[in-house]
Amino acid sequence: MGRRHPTRSRVMAHAGLVAGIVLLALPLVLGDLYLVRIFTLVGINLVMVTGLSLLFGYAGQISLGHAAFFGLGAYTSGFLTRLGWPWVAGLLAGVLVAAAGGLLLALPSLRLKGHYLAMATLGFGEIALFFFTEAESLTGGSDGLREIPAAAIGGFSFDTPTLKYALVWATAALVLLLAANVVRLRPGRALRAIHGSELGAQACGIDTVRIKTQVFVISAGLAGLAGVLYAHYIGFVSPSTFTLNLSLILVAMVALGGMGSLSGAVAGTVLLTLLPYADAIIPGLSRDTVAFLQDWESDIHGLVLILVMLFMPGGIAGLGRQLAVRLRRTSRTAEGGAS
Amino acid sequence: MLSVQGLVAGYSAAAVVDGISVAVSAGEMVTLVGANGAGKSTLLKAIAGAIPVRAGLVSIDGEDVTNVPAHRRVGKGIVLVPEGRMLFAGMSVDENLTLGAHLRTGPAARRAVAEDRERVFGLFPVLAERRRQAAGTLSGGEQQMLAIGRAMMSAPRVLLLDEPSLGLAPKVIGEIFSALDVLRDSGLGMVLVEQDARLALRHACRGYVVRTGRVALEGPAEELLDNDDVRLIYLGAWHETKG
Repeated sequence: MGRRHPTRSRVMAHAGLVAGIVLLALPLVLGDLYLVRIFTLVGINLVMVTGLSLLFGYAGQISLGHAAFFGLGAYTSGFLTRLGWPWVAGLLAGVLVAAAGGLLLALPSLRLKGHYLAMATLGFGEIALFFFTEAESLTGGSDGLREIPAAAIGGFSFDTPTLKYALVWATAALVLLLAANVVRLRPGRALRAIHGSELGAQACGIDTVRIKTQVFVISAGLAGLAGVLYAHYIGFVSPSTFTLNLSLILVAMVALGGMGSLSGAVAGTVLLTLLPYADAIIPGLSRDTVAFLQDWESDIHGLVLILVMLFMPGGIAGLGRQLAVRLRRTSRTAEGGAS
Repeated sequence: MLSVQGLVAGYSAAAVVDGISVAVSAGEMVTLVGANGAGKSTLLKAIAGAIPVRAGLVSIDGEDVTNVPAHRRVGKGIVLVPEGRMLFAGMSVDENLTLGAHLRTGPAARRAVAEDRERVFGLFPVLAERRRQAAGTLSGGEQQMLAIGRAMMSAPRVLLLDEPSLGLAPKVIGEIFSALDVLRDSGLGMVLVEQDARLALRHACRGYVVRTGRVALEGPAEELLDNDDVRLIYLGAWHETKG
């Protein structure tokens, strides 16, 4: 049936894709370097949030430690490329190390649910942060790693803001496309089934242990990929980036977008990443307002999380669905009235 | 077909199921009756593989599946309809049914899956009307129908039914049990756990009375219905005979 009638989720996915392409083109068309920089950050966050959306939004497994995987990717690739490894090798190593970290955390966490899983992943994040700060010979300690070379493939270096932007968004688009295909098909159903009821999923023949491990590893690997992009974009990594605060923002992005909706997660990521840079998007915003948004950024994220949980449990995607239902109902009543 | 021998299982140190043996053949419904906490649900979960077995044997057609994980037992034809239905509330009726057929992949299975879906809709027409509706918005009876329908999509050989009548109105219970009768007559084996012992014994062929993790009594359902102890303790017949 899904073939003949485009399902709502598919329409949403297409809408998300179109929105993504518009976002992609916008800064380039405007030719504003500030915008290009901000949207590069949006792209990096999108890669990370896509992974968290699969894990948390679809499979319902919370992670308060995703900053750790982001950091593992960033440090691994930063460290290796400084030693002279090619960027592509650093990229692969960064993703693999982060994914291995995900596996390490997944195995003991598989038996944990809800608050207990939240605590375990939070603990992992703190351990990783401690490691980033203390393992000075590898990570440069609290000074961090400086002069990380820009991404380069073969002899071609992505060393201008626009090239970096293009690299990040090409990666983000690829990741989103793959994820959108995964969630629409059989594996996506299995993820959502685990979220709905693990016993029910088992009763359907779904290997819940394997799927939870896989999605944990994939999610960590994507965060690692985002970390690699970040390290070579900024050229500098230090522990202050990979704190619990970042992990919480990522969770807020998924929740604001709506659980179990990839396009929602995209919307949540764009909104919350742009929040402190509102002046770049909305012209004529007063300096005070921008300063307020930046100073209170964390508080606003927290508030958003609370308000979404209380009043908008379906997130932005849920609002969209409600709106669609209401529109259909009105059009139906209108038809009824006409006949 | 399905044979359970000397099964011991339980969540903590104390065994909730303490050496139960049960057998069911194709086209037969057997029922486990007993008080709350007697170990009936635990037994079903252990047969389904959802909780570990400490001792004993579960086999289907002579194949030992005691150490086969839960999700692979579904492929062997042992399918649980869990207590509380455990549907995927946010997903549509259709998606829930599709998930029931999760293991049946490939072009060869597609046709059979489509036929089974029609069969479920034939059995429970109301599900066809609500196929695009989210499972969580169905009535209790419809949800139970969907839980059974979802299990049917796995091409089961034995259904393990955990309290299918729980919280439902008598009329709906009647509909569900006549559907179960149809499925049984089509050759499906069923192990039914029910609080409502009278209902269960009326539909089942044989019954097991479970008391503190063991089988206290077993026999043909009609005999158990007439048994004085069973009538007194599990059927609440005291008032009928004396009053």
